[in-house]
Amino acid sequence: MINDKNSQGIVDIIAEYARKQSLFIMAYGTGCGAIEIPPTLTSRYDAERLGIRGAATPRQADVLLITGYLATKSLKRVIRVYEQMQAPKYVIGFGSCTINGGMYWDSYNTINLLDKYIPVDVYINGCMPRPEAVIAGFEKLKELIQSGNALGWKKYEDNLEEYRENQKKVIVNWQMPDYNW
Amino acid sequence: MENKELVLENTLVQALQEGFTRLEATVKRKARVEAKIDKDILPSLLLFAKEKLGYNHLSHIGCVDWIEDGLFEIVYILWHPTEKINLLIKASTERENAIMPNIDYIWRQANTYEREMREMFGIEFPGLVGRKDFILEDWQDIPPMRRDFDTEKYVNEHFFNRPGREDAKDVREQVAKRSGEDIPEFAKKYSRK
Repeated sequence: MINDKNSQGIVDIIAEYARKQSLFIMAYGTGCGAIEIPPTLTSRYDAERLGIRGAATPRQADVLLITGYLATKSLKRVIRVYEQMQAPKYVIGFGSCTINGGMYWDSYNTINLLDKYIPVDVYINGCMPRPEAVIAGFEKLKELIQSGNALGWKKYEDNLEEYRENQKKVIVNWQMPDYNW
Repeated sequence: MENKELVLENTLVQALQEGFTRLEATVKRKARVEAKIDKDILPSLLLFAKEKLGYNHLSHIGCVDWIEDGLFEIVYILWHPTEKINLLIKASTERENAIMPNIDYIWRQANTYEREMREMFGIEFPGLVGRKDFILEDWQDIPPMRRDFDTEKYVNEHFFNRPGREDAKDVREQVAKRSGEDIPEFAKKYSRK
């Protein structure tokens, strides 16, 4: 496996090339941005021609899309989903709500900064980003994967304590399994 | 001329006042009648409206926080399907240790509204079914829809802020600055400093 971007061997380059060609999205819509996903995936913008399509379960998925605002209640589910995904996994923060809270910055039940709770590889800004922007975001993610820089999952493993601390600040009643990495 | 148009509404007001002595009923406009009553006799008024007057549909239950008067006002909106009249029944309770009669035996759907009001305003409904968490999970602060709940303070304590938005914290002031208008006197006390 790749440990840092400088140690990309020939096998890694081939693996990353193959990996970026098929990105399976975890079909979990958290906020209003989920409404932009159907036009992206269906015939109008047809993201499948770029190797992007939906997956039914977290264990089959590569990409977790956080589409818009994230309520504290669904943060619990998102963390659970993210930790169930298989190791080369990527997170795309979708819309301004994931970046700085957006129009819900002073809401008592939505988090403001997504990257304090799970690592984010690519942010797509806009409220809401159009399907073109979503596809551009995926293209950026593909670049990062090819160059070996989409290492959010690695960051999560390394800084698990820190992420856990932030997560437990929001989720007071922690009733989830503590995974063993 | 106007009275002729409001025949049904005036009959309703009369019927309510005959049935209940401590009740203020007024016709607000066409198809809207408002009645204010003590919370102790509220269930009997609701039963009376449902069984005798035919207001058998409960459209909505709302709660208004009158923090200046120290009151919660609960509004029950009933609907008559054939006469097409909305009947608004209002009852108040103290903000401290607020208790309202539970009416989910009259309309079962009232249970949902009451669970929400219990969680969002902290009003207790004795005998309410389903007293566990409804919408909020792990809530430890005062109920968030109360007007004395400081949302910004809560957000600053519990969530992170990305730096760079200090200029746009108070929307009211920003809009006033941009449009070149003054903030009205009554709105100034709600401005965030």
